Amino acid sequence: MSAVIDIKGVEKTYKRRIKALRGVDMTVGDGEIFGLLGPNGAGKSTLVKIMMTVISPSKCSGTVLGSKVGDKATLQQIGYLPEHHRFPPYLTGRQVLEHFGALSGIQRKQRKAKASELLELVGMDSWHKDKLGSYSKGMRQRVGLAQALMNDPKLVVLDEPTDGVDPSGRRDIRNILTHLKDEGRTVFLNSHLLSELEMVCDRVAIMVHGLVRTQGTIDELTAEQSGFVITTASPINDAIKSEISTPSMPDLIQSSSDTTISFKTSEASAVQPAIDTLRKHNIVIQSAGFKRPSLEDLFMQVVDTNNGAKPGAISGAKASSRPSNKPTKGGANS
Amino acid sequence: MILTQTTAIFVDAYRELNAKKLFWLTMVLTVVFAASLAMIGIDKEGVRFLWFHLGFIPINSDIIEPKAFYLASFSYLGIGIWLTWIATILAIISTAGIIPELVTGGTIESVLARPISRARLFLTKYLSGLLFVALQVSVFSVLSMLIIWNRSGYLEPRILLAIPIVVSFFSFLFCICAFIGLITRSTMTAMLLTLLFWAFLFILNIGDGILVQFHESTNIYVEQRTQRVELARTNTVKLLNRDRESQGLSIEDYQPTEEEIHTKNPLLSRLETSLEKDQADLKSLDMWTKAIFTAKTFFPKTGETIELLNRKLIDPEAFTPVEENEPSVATDPFSDIEIDQDELGQRVEARFRERSVLWILGTSFIFEFFVLGLSTLIFTRRDF
Repeated sequence: MSAVIDIKGVEKTYKRRIKALRGVDMTVGDGEIFGLLGPNGAGKSTLVKIMMTVISPSKCSGTVLGSKVGDKATLQQIGYLPEHHRFPPYLTGRQVLEHFGALSGIQRKQRKAKASELLELVGMDSWHKDKLGSYSKGMRQRVGLAQALMNDPKLVVLDEPTDGVDPSGRRDIRNILTHLKDEGRTVFLNSHLLSELEMVCDRVAIMVHGLVRTQGTIDELTAEQSGFVITTASPINDAIKSEISTPSMPDLIQSSSDTTISFKTSEASAVQPAIDTLRKHNIVIQSAGFKRPSLEDLFMQVVDTNNGAKPGAISGAKASSRPSNKPTKGGANS
Repeated sequence: MILTQTTAIFVDAYRELNAKKLFWLTMVLTVVFAASLAMIGIDKEGVRFLWFHLGFIPINSDIIEPKAFYLASFSYLGIGIWLTWIATILAIISTAGIIPELVTGGTIESVLARPISRARLFLTKYLSGLLFVALQVSVFSVLSMLIIWNRSGYLEPRILLAIPIVVSFFSFLFCICAFIGLITRSTMTAMLLTLLFWAFLFILNIGDGILVQFHESTNIYVEQRTQRVELARTNTVKLLNRDRESQGLSIEDYQPTEEEIHTKNPLLSRLETSLEKDQADLKSLDMWTKAIFTAKTFFPKTGETIELLNRKLIDPEAFTPVEENEPSVATDPFSDIEIDQDELGQRVEARFRERSVLWILGTSFIFEFFVLGLSTLIFTRRDF
């Protein structure tokens, strides 16, 4: 799989002292959905803006779609939805699409056809004549997503695409992302919604303090912490743990509490001796099974390990979406 | 692709102005003002407004040709008052937000992430602001041309010169508006500081006008006093010669000394002292007019740019009084000097007309290109 984004050593220093990026290396393959995660202030948006030529890097090497980062002509093949976008409120949904399509150099006839197609795709076809000023945040986000697709891009860069979108809208957007992937496009997703990313992303990268701390497929990244977990009703003392840790047993990978022990194996048969030992000491086993950590677990671990921000702040505010339903004519201003 | 992108930016600018309602409001007011010019007329009895004679205006078609009258009405009222002041203020209010709106967070990212260079984006946005004024002045000029054609029977295409002249005039202010809007990202600040800058140019222009007027009136004083000193001196020499003849002395090869002249005519010294004072004043005014002229070289010449239209449209001969007075020659060297206001006006006018179009427009455009260049540089290098 060839790389659509292949950047190395990206650095950005603001006002000669604030280091937003400290040498980011990242590779995004062709046709994949790639998720970029990180706590607030990690430098995710800075990285996206550098790729979109909105800000200039202090240092950068590598390519986007085979061209040097910052090449304006390449933007013809990239669709972009910025975070906190503010499209002109005096334009209708259709006019927004046609305006940004024209800025991408698309001819009038194609623009009109593409706008109709995309308005339908994002479920805004019945709202296309209304001005953006009357749209809810979720509706503006749908139109924003549609404008990012106007130029039929090979690479779609979406910064918080589900921000402010209701659950059904988020599902619609997930479906659109999958649809884009099926069409062979590459999607670069910057989001705080870890569960959303987990559902659609092929690969993710986690950024903390201006550096990519880890990147790969979710399976690859979580494999390290995956394993067979036994939870007991009473504490397991160190003597029992030592008895369990025999050379023939799989590695004991963590013991997050006195009542939990985990093994680096997915085979139930491999941990039977440990269960026998626990039973021998009359310890009641509450549960036993294979557990793979969620993306959130992984994220929190990476952030904590790298002395990051409080994980609780990461998905709190951003993850909450307004409980507005899929746009209907009567509920636009609700 | 360039045409598609440029058209998109222009259309968006129109939509933005349209959304503010000011575009059509200004356009309607422009048409109303042009129509009101059509209500003014001139005939042998005097100036008319609709059917009413305006007796307090002491001119008629015998004094001023109808064509010159209509052109002057267009230039002084239409351009001098409407387009230069009222419509310009409305235009600044309307267009001040174009650049701040562009660079506001949330808007700029979507636009910059397009295959269009930053310099072209900024300059096209800038031009879209000028397009607003170009449309407005075009409508006004074409309407005025048709009205004057209808009223005087003369089709005067030179009226259309108002389009480039007024657009240039507005561009000198709009470049500052765009620069401030880019730096501060605030429409209100851009608007207010542009108006302040305009007021500064206005004061500079007024100062220039006053100094030139003082300079010319002092010049007249110096000329007339020199004439009077010469006359007094000649008269005194004649008196000294007459005295010598009455004493039976020859006046051949006689050259009276300065002392003899001043002893004979003690008032001559007073005249010469006044002349020296006026000459010193003239020298000082000369320095100040040159200083303000040099200062103006670095700034846009808004007033003089608009005045260029008068140069092209208005023939000063059409306004010259039928009976021209001969320049007065003093017969009494000690009489008071009276300045002929018409002569002073003509001299001041001539001084301003001496300033070349190249200096007026050239230096103003250099200023505009400098400000635009600086703005473009900031826009292309800034992180948004």
